[in-house]
Amino acid sequence: MTGKPLPEEPVDNSAPASAEVPIICMRDVSFTYDGEAFALSGASVQIERGEFVCILGGNGSGKSTLAKHLNALLVPDKGQVEVCGMDTSEREHTYAIRQSAGMVFQNPDDQLVASIVEDDVAFGPENLGVPTAELRQRVTQRLEDVGLSGFEKHETHALSGGQKQRVAIAGALAMNPEILILDEASAMLDPRGRKGLMRVVRSLNNQGMTVVMITHFMEEAALADRVIVLDEGKVARVGTPQKVLVDVDALSALNLEVPFAAELSQALRRAGVPVIAAVTEEALAESVFSVFSSHAAAASSAHENAAPQGPSGGKTLTEKASASPFAPKASTAAGATECAKFPASPAASTDGDVLIWLENVSFTYDAAEARRQRKAGKKPAPKQAKWGNSPEALWALDNVSLKVRNGEFLGIAGHTGSGKSTLIQHMNGILHPTSGRVVAFGSDIAEKGAANDVRGRVGVVFQYPENQLFAATVAEDVAFGPRNLGLSEEEVSKRVERSLRTVGLNPEEIAARSPFELSGGQQRRVAFAGVLAMEPEVLVLDEPAAGLDPKARKSFLDMVARLHEEGLTVVMVSHNMDDLANLCDRVAVMSEGKLLMEGAPAEVFTRAAELTSVGLATTSPEHFANLLREGGLPMPHEGLATEDSIVAYLRGLI
Amino acid sequence: MMRGFSFGSYVPGTSPVHKLDARAKLLLGCAFIVITLNARSFLALIPVALFVVGTYALARIPAGKALRSLAPLLFIVVIASIMNLFVVQGGPVYFEWAFIRVSEQGVFTCLLIACRLLLMMAGMSLVTLTTMTLDLTEAFERLLSPFARIGVPAHEIGMIMGIALRFMPQFATEFSSIREAQLARGAGLKTSPLRGVQMLSSLMTPLFTSVFRHAETLSAAMEARCYHGKEGRTRLHPLSLAPRDGVACALVGVLLACVIAVNILL
Repeated sequence: MTGKPLPEEPVDNSAPASAEVPIICMRDVSFTYDGEAFALSGASVQIERGEFVCILGGNGSGKSTLAKHLNALLVPDKGQVEVCGMDTSEREHTYAIRQSAGMVFQNPDDQLVASIVEDDVAFGPENLGVPTAELRQRVTQRLEDVGLSGFEKHETHALSGGQKQRVAIAGALAMNPEILILDEASAMLDPRGRKGLMRVVRSLNNQGMTVVMITHFMEEAALADRVIVLDEGKVARVGTPQKVLVDVDALSALNLEVPFAAELSQALRRAGVPVIAAVTEEALAESVFSVFSSHAAAASSAHENAAPQGPSGGKTLTEKASASPFAPKASTAAGATECAKFPASPAASTDGDVLIWLENVSFTYDAAEARRQRKAGKKPAPKQAKWGNSPEALWALDNVSLKVRNGEFLGIAGHTGSGKSTLIQHMNGILHPTSGRVVAFGSDIAEKGAANDVRGRVGVVFQYPENQLFAATVAEDVAFGPRNLGLSEEEVSKRVERSLRTVGLNPEEIAARSPFELSGGQQRRVAFAGVLAMEPEVLVLDEPAAGLDPKARKSFLDMVARLHEEGLTVVMVSHNMDDLANLCDRVAVMSEGKLLMEGAPAEVFTRAAELTSVGLATTSPEHFANLLREGGLPMPHEGLATEDSIVAYLRGLI
Repeated sequence: MMRGFSFGSYVPGTSPVHKLDARAKLLLGCAFIVITLNARSFLALIPVALFVVGTYALARIPAGKALRSLAPLLFIVVIASIMNLFVVQGGPVYFEWAFIRVSEQGVFTCLLIACRLLLMMAGMSLVTLTTMTLDLTEAFERLLSPFARIGVPAHEIGMIMGIALRFMPQFATEFSSIREAQLARGAGLKTSPLRGVQMLSSLMTPLFTSVFRHAETLSAAMEARCYHGKEGRTRLHPLSLAPRDGVACALVGVLLACVIAVNILL
């Protein structure tokens, strides 16, 4: 216990002189991993004490490399990094810098050191030689800071992704840092986990913590004080989100996209509605209200004279809006927000074209326990909401009935642990229902040999499929499926080539290479090709675009949409409601193992309150339309709101 | 995706047995094994059995949980005792067919071994039932530390054990998701020994890739939290010896005396 304790908090927090000096100062930093390609080339960044800065950039722009320079995990090849006045290249400062700049990494699964929450939080200060009594105090305090009081003795592997990341934040905070660096810490979380993480980060920032956050999510960047955009290892843009995030063209050239609010405010301005260039939906709504307040005041004063019929005022506005050109679809292929495919299942009621039919399916990973409870006449234990995806929850699926019809694009939404993954594993017979049955292509999957047949016809692409690559060459890996089907070598190689082309890779160039030397995006395409090579009739995708940068995710989803247009039946699990609304004919929402709703996007996403109550959200345009409605602009409920319908409505009011 | 996987069979509690210092428990567990091995008759096993029942009662471990923790190891008991049944010979022969011969001595040894092994396992599993894995690795590290002077990397071994335990459930989950992905791509449609070997390699490659990827980020994460080896490290749960550890040692000493007495007197 004695030894030489490291200098704890060597930085004088209260030094008034340091207030003017930036807490982080990077000057012309260049860095290369391999001596050839520069991950950073001449990046200069200054961050002030107490700031909340977001660092953006496409995959490979040098964001993570930059983050690792901020706590001396990497030291610049050229240039200089000063953190709290200490030069990171001086070895004697290394631990003092790491203590002052706490870091949280992307993957919730590989940054926790200990099996028990409190031991993990204590790991940092233990290394700093903090006495035991104070350790206990810090652990308690920091777990409270991240909203995980009472989780001290929980096992880390049983937590949800969002909870794990908050444990990681608590672990960084326990060293009493002055800066918190988050390296894409929200990338692998579901919307609920991301919201919780963001809330913690913002409240820390409000208490004076300097926050540097690296992210792909523009909605998160919109909340920062300042945004820094990296491109090819250089700083491409710096400024407030209101300045940087509204520039559609510049951002798309940098593989990024603007947040929905910025896109909408631009469209509104083009349409002649004089709103500010906002980056958050709340700010834009405020601006809309102030634009129309004079207008509305005039209108309402006119109506006040007429009668105290509030609704009638609304009606006038409504009529006005519906009179305006209200093309819900077809006219604009504006990509991101073209959606209102209303009643999308016309011919679908006939059961003849049902490919996969889940009938009253329940499933538990602990069949023995289920039997015991059934014998004892107990009902399945109610799930603890606090734990969300508690692994103790007995039933992963609870009496789910769902049909997948020929040629449709079925979306499945639900937060982590809601049973989505379990559900899709039933679709190709990897899992068999504990009760109920799955009928695929006319035969019960439980029948002998049926599951094998189904696996050839239902292709499943799991989450992060690139982690499952295994063969020495790309061609070998893609050929795995077709070979298992027992096809001739000639046919196998034909399929390999065809499927690689389908996913946008050049077989001549790539087939003979090792999958492990490709970029992350290419690896995902190879894994995808491996499933397509089996030429399935139904393609099941679990979060196909997770972790990709905005541009890559768009091109990936475009590819999925194209495959669907070519006749493939697609089932897609996603956290992104906008994607689901854009792509799907039908959406099923899972919660706590139950099928909560099912219907066309326009039916499902107009039930915003219900979605919010299970930790999900509606689409961005619908959410904005609801903001307008709450604020007194009664936009009519005509299907799902789209960017165009909002613009049309507001323009109609002028 | 979430599959119940809990490593170690720790049952939380605040009993005197739980509160014992992990080092003491580990050493007394070893002493208990030695004592049990020295009990040469059923009579000598009686005090041992009483001791086991007593400590389980003291630790307030439910009987069901205690038995379940033994279940996976039962096959060792069965194999070991059956081997003795046929190998040990002496006294009247009960059964003979071809080269198989069962004699009185064989039956006696078989039963004695089975009881002895069961008691040994019950004793050791009480240690894991009442000690958190992290404390066990810490105890292990501290017990090894005298050997650090002759070059045994005690701290590192402890750290490795801790991290291995932490990642065990993680890799179990990853392994099953890799397997499922390959099943989905038609793996295992045709089974032959050669296929089996191929299947194994296609499963292990992504798993090892993932192990290395985790290792890389985990080491960065540990460095980012100022990990620099053992020097100057403090502990949230420091191990400290208390009077109750002395009492525990005395009790085990009494057990030893009983067993020796029975061995000599009878």
